[in-house]
Amino acid sequence: MTLLLLLPAGMWLARWLAYTHFKGKYLIEALVVLPLVLPPTVLGYYLLVFVGGASPLGQWLSQQFGVQLAFHFSGLVLASVIFNIPFLVQPIQRAFEAIPSHLGEAAAVSGLNAWQIFWRVELPLAWPGVLSAMVLTFVHTLGEFGVVLMIGGSIPGETRTLAISIYDRVQAFDLVSADRMSLLLLMLSLVAVAVSFFATARLGRRQ
Amino acid sequence: MTQVDGNLLQVQISQTWPMPLHGNFTCSSGQMLALVGPSGAGKTSMLRMLAGLLQPAQARVSVGGEIWCDTSLGIHMRTQQRQVGLVFQNYALMPHMNATENVALAMLHLPRNIRLKQSQDWLERMGLNKAQQQRKPAQLSGGQQQRVALARALAREPKLLLMDEPFSAVDQMSRRGLYGLIADLRRDLQMPIVLVTHDLNEARQLADKLVVMDAGQVLQEGTPAHIYRSPRNARVADLVGIPNRFHGRWLGAGGPYVLPPGLAWLEWLPTADASSGLPLVVSDKGRLKTAGQAVTWVIQSDGLEANPSSAQDHLADMQSVLLNAQVTGLRSLGEISLATLQLQALHPCPLQLTLSGAHRQQLQLGQSVTVRLDCRWIHVMPVRS
Repeated sequence: MTLLLLLPAGMWLARWLAYTHFKGKYLIEALVVLPLVLPPTVLGYYLLVFVGGASPLGQWLSQQFGVQLAFHFSGLVLASVIFNIPFLVQPIQRAFEAIPSHLGEAAAVSGLNAWQIFWRVELPLAWPGVLSAMVLTFVHTLGEFGVVLMIGGSIPGETRTLAISIYDRVQAFDLVSADRMSLLLLMLSLVAVAVSFFATARLGRRQ
Repeated sequence: MTQVDGNLLQVQISQTWPMPLHGNFTCSSGQMLALVGPSGAGKTSMLRMLAGLLQPAQARVSVGGEIWCDTSLGIHMRTQQRQVGLVFQNYALMPHMNATENVALAMLHLPRNIRLKQSQDWLERMGLNKAQQQRKPAQLSGGQQQRVALARALAREPKLLLMDEPFSAVDQMSRRGLYGLIADLRRDLQMPIVLVTHDLNEARQLADKLVVMDAGQVLQEGTPAHIYRSPRNARVADLVGIPNRFHGRWLGAGGPYVLPPGLAWLEWLPTADASSGLPLVVSDKGRLKTAGQAVTWVIQSDGLEANPSSAQDHLADMQSVLLNAQVTGLRSLGEISLATLQLQALHPCPLQLTLSGAHRQQLQLGQSVTVRLDCRWIHVMPVRS
């Protein structure tokens, strides 16, 4: 879900960051990385403050659309999207930056329009980076804890993620379930990171 | 309106920012024009403007009556709309596609099977066999990659073909093959071809016309023979590498004695600030007016001849002199030798002489020779212009 929402926007942002140069670019890049360095609880706290039921934005949303974000699945998705921006944008940006600029020019001279250049030249070349970003983001969503607890709480079937379930189980001394879920998460993460490294190595070899 | 030349390229560019670039030139169908000059002269920028990859501040570019760019009318055709072929220095082939797919990329308007077929035909014409056509660029040599790039550029059926240092990344062996290929292709291609190169030999060998550029300025446009015979100024002579270039003073008719019309006195000075030198009789083209003005002059190799004998300096006829000299350098460059001669009358004024055939065996280092200097091959330029 997070991936579906984040992928097109993230791809656009990454491509834009890779191809444009301007003075304030570093600020935007810093903003992109921010969720990576910020404690998840801080991010969750700010989200709660800005979109929670008591905030102006939260009130406006619930009045206009009847949407309540805090302690709700949609809020969880929003938090997850923001929290995953660096994991998605950074690898894709690097992948686009690695494409030599004259390839795009050669494609333009060959008569390809911007859309054709994207589909036939840029995306295939950046694909390993995109794939690794997608895998990383996907596993990362499974493991989210702090930010989710802050904005989503732990409502079964609604906002309870795998990581929070494990925490709950340990608190309840149900170590068998915690064990099983932890192992699942461990294996998933390992596979994902391995796939992502494999894809990056392939990208490196081709240049 | 009768169209004499289907794809005549006409270029007028003038801009001062972000980099100065000025110049006008034309190139007709089937003609190959070489843009030459040192790095940073603006050759590649000029080419990119023709391709539409760069937008000039003030320009008018038209190909066969079709206006590609006219800043005064606010017309700037995008690269995709211009039917242009561009060959890059580093090939710029798509690494994830094989040779056939790379060429087919330029024909996306055709159905897939037709464009693959045509792409194979093009590659065949460029001399790539069936197996090579299926290879990815990384599995092809530099020369083969450039053939694929050339096929891709031509597959678009361009009205203008541009080549940016197409041979500089290619090894010497493949380069010769590519020269031959281009010479063959030119017989069939009816479009102007613009080649950017810093290799003057290459430009002279391939092009019908040279455009000499320096610091963003077009300095001279003309056939290679014309530019070598009569460079417009000292900078052009420098850039195209004319070896025998000397200082002088233009005396006009007022020399040792009065000359018939069409002839003038040129005093050959050993250095720019020398007070006196050797008077020579040269053709007066009426370009230089002021007697006593400082000039630079060149002499083509056709006007120089060295023989192993020694005699006093004297006039052979009104426009040729015999001068005593010593061979101070001799360098063998394969089939030719490059000799440096020091004239006895003028120090320090080394003459460069290219020797070939039996002639090169006659000269030895340290030997005294007589140089016959035919002043009809002298071209005089103002120092500043």
